[in-house]
Amino acid sequence: MEVIYNNFERLIVSTSQIQKSLYFCAGNQLQSMASSFEKYQKRRLISSYFSVVISISLVLFLLGLLGLLVLNTKKVADHFKEKIALTVYLKDTAKEVEITQLKQSLALAEYTKTAEYISKEQAAEEHSATIGENFMEFLGYNPLQNSIDVYLLADYVSPEKLEEITTELISKNFVDEVVYDKPLIALLNDNVKKISLWVLIISSLFTFIAVLLINSSIRLSVYAKRFTIKTMQMVGATKRFIRRPFIWKSVKLGMLGAVLAMIGMALVLYYLNKTFPQLQLLQDKVMIGALFAFIFLMGLFITWLSTYFATQRFLNLRTDELYY
Amino acid sequence: MPETVLSLKNASVFQRENLILSDVNVTVEKGEFVYLIGKTGTGKSSFMKTLYGDLPLTKGEGNIVGYDLPTLKENDIPFLRRKLGVVFQDFKLLNDRTVKNNLLFVLNATGWKDKAAMDTRIDAVLDKVAMKTKSFKYPYQLSGGEQQRVAIARALLNDPELILADEPTGNLDPQTSVEVMEVLQEINKNGNTILMATHDYALLLKYPSKTLKCDENQIFEVVQKTV
Repeated sequence: MEVIYNNFERLIVSTSQIQKSLYFCAGNQLQSMASSFEKYQKRRLISSYFSVVISISLVLFLLGLLGLLVLNTKKVADHFKEKIALTVYLKDTAKEVEITQLKQSLALAEYTKTAEYISKEQAAEEHSATIGENFMEFLGYNPLQNSIDVYLLADYVSPEKLEEITTELISKNFVDEVVYDKPLIALLNDNVKKISLWVLIISSLFTFIAVLLINSSIRLSVYAKRFTIKTMQMVGATKRFIRRPFIWKSVKLGMLGAVLAMIGMALVLYYLNKTFPQLQLLQDKVMIGALFAFIFLMGLFITWLSTYFATQRFLNLRTDELYY
Repeated sequence: MPETVLSLKNASVFQRENLILSDVNVTVEKGEFVYLIGKTGTGKSSFMKTLYGDLPLTKGEGNIVGYDLPTLKENDIPFLRRKLGVVFQDFKLLNDRTVKNNLLFVLNATGWKDKAAMDTRIDAVLDKVAMKTKSFKYPYQLSGGEQQRVAIARALLNDPELILADEPTGNLDPQTSVEVMEVLQEINKNGNTILMATHDYALLLKYPSKTLKCDENQIFEVVQKTV
């Protein structure tokens, strides 16, 4: 009887063990299912950070493009300015020596980019080509003059400087006339000034919008945690201790946004450089590096500052003031 | 001579400009279990809030665990709260982390550094409230009674000189209330001082102790009639 009973007990023990291990397996599976469910839920909530990152990166991207524009307005304007020629017409009585001397002195002058001598025969040929008939045939002579086309450096293309150069050249007795497109130069200088002003205004507006937009999305995400912040204060955490993880989190988002913006800027820069190599966009490596660093620091600084103020706001409120 | 952990003399409690309680004279000695009873709206919670620094004490004298309440500075409040353990009616656990991380947050926030010591401490307090097996759960996965027990464990972490419990059983069913009450009684037996606001008179009858009553802007001690 005793033996049977003992065996029976052992049987029960072993079956209960099997059962236990079965439960264990099932429990494990349940737990892993639960955790994947939790992960899914968490991911759904994380997507709200997505919009914060996107808004930060878009705003910084626009800011960076404007920065590129500011850096390159001068370069683009100079590009056009250096296409403008100052033509010096020489009298037919001018001696060979005088012409050579003027050519040399113009080539060496500080304001010259390039100077090109065009003889009257050359000019006539070009002129005939443009109007499509040989005008010398019915005129019987060549009315054109020998000339020198001077392309100036951008810094000297302004009405005042051009006037100076003209008076200096015209004082030579073998120079007949100095001609350039006066209204075009005035217009160009005027427009460059206007454009620079507007670029400055727009970029400061964009900076303002950037700060505002990033600030409001961060404020919203901190606002969602206001009761958590209060609870943390209730258990004796200092303001600094509570603030730290919030700031770290948004600064990480800010850095991510800034990196995305920089990738965008790099792509734009690459394609612009490929399409307009004459602008030499990538020439000034230091300035471009500084711009990228500025964008990164901007992302860091704005997120840090707005998280600081947003958390500080709720840290300074009393519990019952949170409900308003 | 018993040590006084809380004493108020001629103190007034205000919610903004509204006078809630006036002329409050209360002393609590170390090791006592004190009830604070009264109808809703008589100022129990405001009184508690004044004690843990959520409302300023502007009139009268007050001293709690060595901090002078009228001259309490904003920067001292966290350090006052470390010497108190506060248990709320709505638990106020951090819902974005597990029970263990809730407790770990408190330890980190209050300056603990040693990982092993922190783990031991968490195990010890969870053991006291019989929640050791559920430390990996999130607060929303627990029942109300379990959450309240975790909140009590949280209050115990830094071995507080005084535990303030603001209607800890207010959200719980009678049976769970008794369970939570057993936990609090057990803690009190181990030498912790507890001040508990409640309107659950059944608990008072079951666990009689010193009782203060809030009524008509006053706090006074009442003697329970033993049946």
